[in-house]
Amino acid sequence: MVRVNYDGVTKRYGNEVGAANVDITIEDGEFAVLLGPSGCGKTTTLRCLAGLTDPTDGEIYLGEEPITDVHPKNRDIAMVFQALALYPHMDVASNIGYPLKVAGISKTERAERVEQVAETLEIGDLLDRDTDQLSGGQRQRVAIGRAIVRRPSVFLMDEPLASLDAKLKVEMRNEIKKLQRELGITTLYVTHDQEEAMTLGDKLIVMDDGEVQQIGTPHEVYHDPANRFVAGFIGSPSMNFLRVRRADAETSSVTFDRDGSDHSFDYDAVPTEIDRTTSFVLGVRPQYFEVFQSPMQGTIESRVTVTEPMGDEQLLTVEPIDCEERELTVRVPFDVGVTRGETIWLGVDEASSYVFDAHTGERIIEGGQRSSTTPMAE
Amino acid sequence: MATENQPVGGLRRSVLRRIEWCYDRLDEYGLLPGVTHGIAFVFVLWTVFPVYWMVSGSLRTRRDLLSTPPQWLPSTLTVENYVELFAQRPEFYDYLFNSVVVTAGATLLAVALGTAATYGFVQYDYPFDMGRFHLPFTILATRFLPPIVTVIPLFRIFDATSLLNTKLGLVLAYAAFNIPFVVWMMKGFFAELPDSIVEAAVMDGHTEMGAFLKVVVPMVRPGLIAATIFTIINAWNDLLFAVILTSDTGAQTLPVALATFKTAYVIEWELLTAAGTIAMAPVLLFAFLVREKLLRGFTMGAVK
Repeated sequence: MVRVNYDGVTKRYGNEVGAANVDITIEDGEFAVLLGPSGCGKTTTLRCLAGLTDPTDGEIYLGEEPITDVHPKNRDIAMVFQALALYPHMDVASNIGYPLKVAGISKTERAERVEQVAETLEIGDLLDRDTDQLSGGQRQRVAIGRAIVRRPSVFLMDEPLASLDAKLKVEMRNEIKKLQRELGITTLYVTHDQEEAMTLGDKLIVMDDGEVQQIGTPHEVYHDPANRFVAGFIGSPSMNFLRVRRADAETSSVTFDRDGSDHSFDYDAVPTEIDRTTSFVLGVRPQYFEVFQSPMQGTIESRVTVTEPMGDEQLLTVEPIDCEERELTVRVPFDVGVTRGETIWLGVDEASSYVFDAHTGERIIEGGQRSSTTPMAE
Repeated sequence: MATENQPVGGLRRSVLRRIEWCYDRLDEYGLLPGVTHGIAFVFVLWTVFPVYWMVSGSLRTRRDLLSTPPQWLPSTLTVENYVELFAQRPEFYDYLFNSVVVTAGATLLAVALGTAATYGFVQYDYPFDMGRFHLPFTILATRFLPPIVTVIPLFRIFDATSLLNTKLGLVLAYAAFNIPFVVWMMKGFFAELPDSIVEAAVMDGHTEMGAFLKVVVPMVRPGLIAATIFTIINAWNDLLFAVILTSDTGAQTLPVALATFKTAYVIEWELLTAAGTIAMAPVLLFAFLVREKLLRGFTMGAVK
C-alpha cells in the first residue's frame, strides 16, 4: 500500500498524443477514478502505471521509487481488464491463484489464500468450475479475486463493469467500493461512466484530449468545475450552456450573444473584469432554473417542446423564444403541471450557476481567480 | 444476392434444387437411410480397402496373397512375413530408427520455430500489416513451388555443407518444408487470442516469454496438436527428399526402404505389405489417439 505519483507523464503515438503532461498524486489507500469520454487518454494513463505502455516522457513514482523502467511483473501492481482476461484453460481456483503460482508460493498456502479471497467475493462454491460456466457477475468476481489475491500495493481497474447489465453494475460497484475500503489498497479505476465515478471515487481525475482537466473530490468536480468541459461532462442530464454578454454597463442583466437579439434576463453575478463587449458562457444545471408559469420580468421566455416524466421529477426540453437554435434541459418536480407547447419563464439562480470564458472554456470567478479547491499534484 | 437471371447462381441453384428433390423423394419412400448409408459404405470401402488389403496381406502367405481369383479373406493367419522381414533385412531396424529420429527432430523443430515465429508476427506491431499478413504469406509462398524444384539446390547446399546422407540434413529439410504450414495453421489461433490475456499474464508476474510459454501455448494446444500431426505425417511419409538426400542406412528412412522391395526382377509383396504396415501404423495410431483434439485443431483457427 503506497502513494502513486505521476510527474509530467506524456505518451505520444507518432503524432497523436495519448496523454499530455499528466500530473497526478494518489494518496496511500485512496480510491482514485480516471474519468473522461472515450479516447481521452484515461486508459493510456492507467496503462503507463501498469507498465503495459511506456511513457514517452515523465516519470511515475510508487512511493519514492521511480518505476518507469521497471518491468510490470516487478511493480507489485495488479490489474482488472475490461475484457477480464480470465485464463480459459484454467478453472476458477487456478485463475485466482495464478499470480501466487507464478510467484512460487507453495500449493497449500495458495489454496488457503484462494479460498479466503473466494469467501470474501462470495464465490467459494465455484472454485472448481470452468470459467466458461460462469455468469458475467461471477466472472467479474474471479477477475477481481485474481487481482487482490496477492495483496498488491496498487490495484488498477480498466472499465471492469462495462459489460455488465445495469442492475449488476450497481451491485458490483457497491462491492468494489466495500472491498477497497476493507483492503485499503491504493486504487486507480478507469471509467467513462460519471455516475460510476461519482459513487466510487474518493478522488476524481477528469480527463479530455489527453489532458487532466480537473482533480478533486466528486463534490468538488460537480459543484466547482474547473472549466466548461468538466461542467458539461459531470452531471446528468448535462449542464446547460448559454452564450451571453452584458446587456449594458449599468444594469445587472445579460443578453443572448446573437445578432438581433434583444432578449435579456437578470444575472447580477457577472465578474467585474468581463466588459460589455466580451461574450461569455453561462452554465446552469437543469435543476437550478427557477420555473415560472406566468410572465416574469428578467427571465428567459421559453417554449416547452418535450416533457419526460421520470417518476419523482420530470425533464423538460425547452426552446428559449429568442434563441431558437439552442435547447435547454430543465428539471422540475413531477407535480409541476407543464404540457408540451406551453410557454414557461426561466430564472437563472446566480448562486448555482457558473461563468466560463467563451473561447478557452476556463471558469471565470470574481477577481479573475478560480476558487481552487482542486489540489493539483505537487 | 444471386437472382434467377444470373447464369452461375441459376445453374448452381437448379442443381441444388434437383438434389433436394431427389432427397425429398427418397425421404418420402423411406429409402433415405438405406441410400445414405449405402453411399457412406462405398466411400468407406474405397478408403479402407487398400489398408485392409495391406494389413491382411502382411498376415498371409505369399501364395494366399497372390492367388487368382483373389481370396478376400485370408485362409490362415501368420506372422511369418514380419519374422522374415527382420531376419532377411536386419537393416530394416535402421530405417525404422532413422524415420523415428528424423520425424521427431523435424516435428520438434518445425512446431517450435513455426509457433514462436507466428506468435511474434501476430503479437507485435509491424508496419504495413507485415506481421499479420505479408510475412506469414511470404513464408507460405515458399511452398507454392513443386518440392522437386527445391530439392536440387538443396542437394548442392547439403553437398557443400556435409549434410548429405545425414539425419540432421533430413531434419533440417523437413523442418524448413513444414514451418510454413505450422505458421499458417497457428496464425488463426494466435489472432483469436485477446491482447489482454498476455497483458494479464504479465501483470500476474510473467515475463513476455513466460506469458507465451505458460499462458499462450496451453491456450492454443488444439492448434499445436494439429500442426504436430500434420508435420509428423509429412515427415514420416516423405519419399522425395529422402531418396535424393540420403544414400545408405545411415540416414535412409522407411519410405525409401519400401521402394527397395520392388526390384527389377521381383516384387516381394508379402514383405512389402509387412513393411508397409509397420510404416503406416505409428501415424495412424497416433492420429487415432488424439482424434478429438485433432479435429478441434483443424476446425478452429486456420480453417475458420
